[in-house]
Amino acid sequence: MSLVRWWSGLVLAFALLAVLRIYLPLPFAIEVIIFSIYTLGCSFLLGRVGFISFGQPAYLAIGAYATAFYLFYFGNNPYIGILIGIAAGIVGSLLVGPLLVRLRGDYFALVNLALAVIIYYLMQKVLADITHGDNGLWYLTNMSSTPVLDLTRPDQFFIFAFIVAFAIWVFFKYLDDSIYGACCLAVKVNEDKLRFLGYDNFKVRLTAFVIANTTTALAGALYAVYLGFVSPEITSPARAADPVVVTILGGAGTLYGPIVGAIVYTGMKDVVSKVIGNWELIVGFTLVFIMLAGEKGIWGSLEPRLNRLMDRMTGKRSDEVGQ
Amino acid sequence: MSGNGSTLGNLLEVSGLNVAYGESKVLFDVGITVKPGQVVACVGRNGAGKSTLLKTIAGFIKPSSGTVTANGTNLVGLTAYVVAGMGIKYIPQDKKVFSDLTVQENLELGSYASKDYGWDKVYDYFPKLKTLLDRKAGYLSGGERQMLMVGRAILGHPKLLLVDEPTEGLAPSIVSHLKEVFGELKKKTALVIVEQNLPMICAIADKIYAVSEGHIMAEITDRDQIKPEVCEKYL
Repeated sequence: MSLVRWWSGLVLAFALLAVLRIYLPLPFAIEVIIFSIYTLGCSFLLGRVGFISFGQPAYLAIGAYATAFYLFYFGNNPYIGILIGIAAGIVGSLLVGPLLVRLRGDYFALVNLALAVIIYYLMQKVLADITHGDNGLWYLTNMSSTPVLDLTRPDQFFIFAFIVAFAIWVFFKYLDDSIYGACCLAVKVNEDKLRFLGYDNFKVRLTAFVIANTTTALAGALYAVYLGFVSPEITSPARAADPVVVTILGGAGTLYGPIVGAIVYTGMKDVVSKVIGNWELIVGFTLVFIMLAGEKGIWGSLEPRLNRLMDRMTGKRSDEVGQ
Repeated sequence: MSGNGSTLGNLLEVSGLNVAYGESKVLFDVGITVKPGQVVACVGRNGAGKSTLLKTIAGFIKPSSGTVTANGTNLVGLTAYVVAGMGIKYIPQDKKVFSDLTVQENLELGSYASKDYGWDKVYDYFPKLKTLLDRKAGYLSGGERQMLMVGRAILGHPKLLLVDEPTEGLAPSIVSHLKEVFGELKKKTALVIVEQNLPMICAIADKIYAVSEGHIMAEITDRDQIKPEVCEKYL
C-alpha cells in the first residue's frame, strides 16, 4: 500500500470533520469527537476481536473519575489530569482484563455490564464521601490555563481533542494494517487455528482489551476536562448500550464507523429530540433498518462502494470476487 | 496397545494414551512412535479416534493419562501454541482458513509466529499461491485453502506436521499434487497423516497405524504390507 493511499483516507476524514466544525455548533463538534473516541474502543472490540461489551461506561468512568480526582483534590493542570485518566485506564484494564478476556460472547457482555453497575454504585453510594455522590465533583474553576492550547477554553479544547482523535485514528489504522490486527481478526474468526500457528490467544485478546478500554478511558478523561464536572451519571447502566448502538450504526470494526455513528447518533439526539420527545425511538427504528439491510452499519455499507469508486477513478481493477 | 518400540531415535513417542470427552472415552492406551523423516499414517473409520489422537499430540486436548514425548520433552499439559512453538504444527481437517484475511496476511501470520519469512519454499510447493496473494482467503477453493494451510504450516521448518484428512473432498488432481508435496516434505520433516484415501497414503507412508474404536489394532511397518488391500481389512 502506498504511503499516499495510507494517509489519504485519514486526512480526508478529518478534513471533513474540520469542515463540519465551521457549520456546526462547537459543543456538538466536541461531543462528536469525544463520542467517536469513546465508540472506537467498543468498535475495535466488537468488530476486530468479536467481544460485545455493554460495560464501556465502566472504563469511561475510570478515566473520567481519575482525571476528576486529580483536578478536584490534587492539582489543576488538565494535561496532567488527562494523562492520569489514561494511566487509570491502563491499570483498570490490566486488573480486570485477565479475568474478563477468558469469557466469551454473552458472558463477556453481561459481566462487563455488571462491572459498569458496580462502578456506578461505587461512585454513587460507597465512595460518596470522595465522589460527592449524585452531586458529582465540580472543578471547572479549579483548572488552570495551559500553554499552547488552553484546555479551559472550548474553542482550543476542540483543537486539542481533534489532534488527539487524529493521533488515535493513525494508531488504530496502523493496528488494522499490522500483523497484530490480523491476529485480532483471526482470533475472532477461529481462535483454535491461531493457537495451532503458535500464538497465545490470551495475550492477543488481553492486549486488544487494554488498547480498547484505555481508548475509552481517554474519552472519559476528555469529558472530565471539557465539562469540568463528573457525576455517576457517566457510568449509568441506562446508557450502557450507547457505544454498542453507535458502533452498529456506524459499522463495527470499520475505522471510520465510530465517527459516522457518533455524528448520526449525536445529531439525532440534538436535532430530532427538539422535534420528537422520544428520539430514542428513531434510533431504534434506524438500528432495525440497518440490521435488516445487512448488519454492516452506515459506513460499513458505504465503504466498499467508495472503494470501488476510488478504484475506478484511479484506474485500478479489483480482482476480488464480491469485493 | 502397540507401538512402544525403541525410544532411541524417535522424534515423537506416544505411550499409554487415554483420552475422554467427559464420560465418553475415545482413546484407549494408545501408543505410536515417529522417527525423523518418517511419514506415519493413521487409518480407520470415522469416529475411530484418529483426529482426537492428533489434537491430543498438538496440545488441544488434555489426555486423562499417558505420555506424549517429543525429543525428550513431555508435551502433556502444554498448550497448543507452546507445542506449535516447539515445531509441531497441526493442520486441521476442516480447511477453514482466516477468511477475512488475504492469502498474504494468512502467510504473514504463519511467518510472524515462526519468524520465518522464506516464502519461496511455499511457492516451490504451491506456485499458485503466489498468484493469489491479494485474494481474501474466504474466496479460495477447497484445494487452494488446503495449499494455504500446508504452506502456512511449513513456515518455520517444523519438525513434525500433524495433518488431518488433507485430501477429503478434493479433486483428484489436487490429491495427486498433495501426494507429491508430502513425498517431498518428508525429506525435511516428519509427518503424521490421518487419511482415508488408502491408495494415496499407502504410496507415501513408511508406517501405518490402523485405528478402530479408540484402539491401535495394527502397526504395519513392512513396506510390502503397506498396501490399500491390507489396510482395508482394518476399516
